Amino acid sequence: MPDGMRGVIAGLITVALAAIVVVGIAVGDQSPQNRAQALGSRIKCPVCQGEAIVDSPSETATAMMEIVAEQVDQGRTDDQILEFFRARYGDGILLDPPFRGRTLALWLLPVGAVAAGIILILRRRQSPLVEAPASPELGEPT
Amino acid sequence: MTALLGYFGILLALVSAVALGLLGLRGVRDAERVNAASLRNAVIGLVAGGALAMLALEVGLLADDFSVAYIADNSATTTPFFYKVATAWAALEGSIVLWGLVLAVFTLTIYLRYYRSRQPDPLWIGALGVMGLISVFFFGIMATIANPFQVCVEAATTGCFASSNLPWAASMAPLQGLGPNPLLQNHPLMAVHPPLLYVGYVGMSVPFAFAISALIRGESGDAWLRRTRSWTLVAWSFLTAGIVIGGLWSYEVLGWGGYWAWDPVENASFMPWLVATAFIHSSVVQERRGMLQAWNFVLVIATFSLTILGTFLTRSGVIASVHSFTQSPIGPALLWFLTLVLVGSLSLFATRVHLVASSPRLNSLASREGVFLFNNLLLTVFAFVVLIGTLYPMFVEAFTGSQLGVGRPFFDRLAIPLSFALLLAMGLGPITPYRAARASVVWERIRTPLRVALAVGAGAVLLGYRNIYVVLGVLTGTFIIGVIVRQLWASARRAAANEGTPVWRSVGRVMRSDPGYWGGQIAHVGVAILAMGIAISANQGVESQLTLEPGQTAEFAGHELTYVTDFSRQEPNRSVLGARVEVRRQSKVVAVLEPSLNQYARSNQPVASPAVDTSLRGDLYLSLTSIGGDRISLDVFWFPFVWLIWFGGLLAAAGGLYPRMVRKRSAVPAQAREANQDA
Repeated sequence: MPDGMRGVIAGLITVALAAIVVVGIAVGDQSPQNRAQALGSRIKCPVCQGEAIVDSPSETATAMMEIVAEQVDQGRTDDQILEFFRARYGDGILLDPPFRGRTLALWLLPVGAVAAGIILILRRRQSPLVEAPASPELGEPT
Repeated sequence: MTALLGYFGILLALVSAVALGLLGLRGVRDAERVNAASLRNAVIGLVAGGALAMLALEVGLLADDFSVAYIADNSATTTPFFYKVATAWAALEGSIVLWGLVLAVFTLTIYLRYYRSRQPDPLWIGALGVMGLISVFFFGIMATIANPFQVCVEAATTGCFASSNLPWAASMAPLQGLGPNPLLQNHPLMAVHPPLLYVGYVGMSVPFAFAISALIRGESGDAWLRRTRSWTLVAWSFLTAGIVIGGLWSYEVLGWGGYWAWDPVENASFMPWLVATAFIHSSVVQERRGMLQAWNFVLVIATFSLTILGTFLTRSGVIASVHSFTQSPIGPALLWFLTLVLVGSLSLFATRVHLVASSPRLNSLASREGVFLFNNLLLTVFAFVVLIGTLYPMFVEAFTGSQLGVGRPFFDRLAIPLSFALLLAMGLGPITPYRAARASVVWERIRTPLRVALAVGAGAVLLGYRNIYVVLGVLTGTFIIGVIVRQLWASARRAAANEGTPVWRSVGRVMRSDPGYWGGQIAHVGVAILAMGIAISANQGVESQLTLEPGQTAEFAGHELTYVTDFSRQEPNRSVLGARVEVRRQSKVVAVLEPSLNQYARSNQPVASPAVDTSLRGDLYLSLTSIGGDRISLDVFWFPFVWLIWFGGLLAAAGGLYPRMVRKRSAVPAQAREANQDA
């Protein structure tokens, strides 16, 4: 078989494999297997130290998990259920800080840090280029 | 007697530390101004004092000397031998004794290597001086506000009611001590975890000490980096192992089925790990290409500061409540020390950086240096995310009084994309040439691994795995490992062709010829395996609650669980109440698990002790939530491939130690190493 032909076939196989992966992920159900548990990890156990109700064995947390499971069974949405707890316990009950108000900075700071880092790296590059000596070690050493 | 001896040790170490600090300050300019014998005596005094303090504490613990308040409050006659030994570092004051001893031993290793070089070098003397100054702080708080040898002057029925800081005070020992915290005597890993972590934490003060010494001297170049490389790697390996073992302990003891909760104590150890990892990578860039000189100083200062911040977070009570950390004077002391370290080292850096750093610029982003920069950006941003996620709620509570929850969802949301980007950099970085990489060269090196990884990913999809994290995690992990294996194979084939030996025999020689590079690749393989373990077990796990009566059987994740009977057992330090559960797979008994509730004298709440059946396919994890009235309630979990996490994590730690193990065995000619530099 000529080399060109072989390359084409290898390329096709690679693309086919990639397609299987992409399609598989796309058609797969990405929502959590267990909604109650996913929600439970976003609600803080009020009597523990920073634990989610899904992780805590305490009675309060167990009772709250039961409420979550009940509301999931009733078909309420995630937002409705979280709002139910927020209304009763305040913002502090949510382990997943909202993108507004006091916790806005929490989300913006990491973005700012990434931006600052990228700018810093790009500025280092834009300075006068020193021509790298053409060295033989750059090639594939195999 | 124990108290007197131990306290004498602390004072000896403190005085020696002060002397070492002064000698260092004097010798950092001119090594000739320091008397060799004084330097030696200061180091010996420090180590002897630290060792004496630890020895006294251990002897006191083993001899049940409850006249020492720490022992009365944290140990008991019924405590098993093993846990008595471990109690020396189980509580605050004792943990600082361990910290001090480790610091002294690291100082000794610096001194010994300096002594063997037989050349006066002010850089080393300055570094020893900085180690001395750090020791002054730790032995200073041991001598004052965190004295582990406080004497019990008024005994309670069990434990100590009132204590005195003066070791010669007339003591009144209680008949029985309180015993260790139940959670800490429920599993042997708790004895191993803190020492590993402390060697990791404290080891990071060695590169810090050399960096400060180089800054004071205004010494440019990478001498400070090269000299401290092996210490940094050892510290990194121990820190890695400490974090992994901590996760394993949490999994085996706490009974919630998890190993990582993003709680502040865990974050406290993870932040220095992230920055230290960035430092290890960027120091390679400086050694190879002379770049990032100033950045490396920033990273090493940040790493050391984060270890102090970590100690503050773990030991001050600030986590329980922002307002409680001033209840013990140790919190503010650590905070002051942290401030001093930050202000001192950063202002030193700001005034000296022009002397020590003059980096060449980057030629092209598409190069090994470029990937290293990307890696550094990701790791430091990651550390920053963990830092603000941990501190933000504390600040909000301190200033506004209102509580704010920042937990797993926040961290996961940011950590997952960052981790995938890091894995990508890990796959490409090690095979990208320095200076400027031609796409064809990189493609040649990743072509086959990429196809293998895609095939594995497609295989996972066809087997029915559709979760994006599982599929991408397995695909990326396979890719990273594939690239490394291909690189090793290609190098071995080249070496074999040169020498006419079989390829497989060249593999070991190739790895030994460049231990730094291949140690790094071992660590990368470990991290890739760890990442796959996390992705699979976190997304393919199954959980259920079961209530069973004796003889009753329930079906769970391909297993049949039969509750056989309850049992109870009286042990010297605890009473154990548990359930015997038979596990069948395809009607064959594969395990008998005994999850239990352990009641310790010290606490009213029993500690749930989960039982785990580990196999290659995964862990069956049973946690008893209630027992009695002829029935039990169980939390049951099935986690596939959890062992990948522990195995990968420990392999990563071993990668950090690999260069040291190789160099110990054979002196490698520099020539052999050059051959692989472009690899």
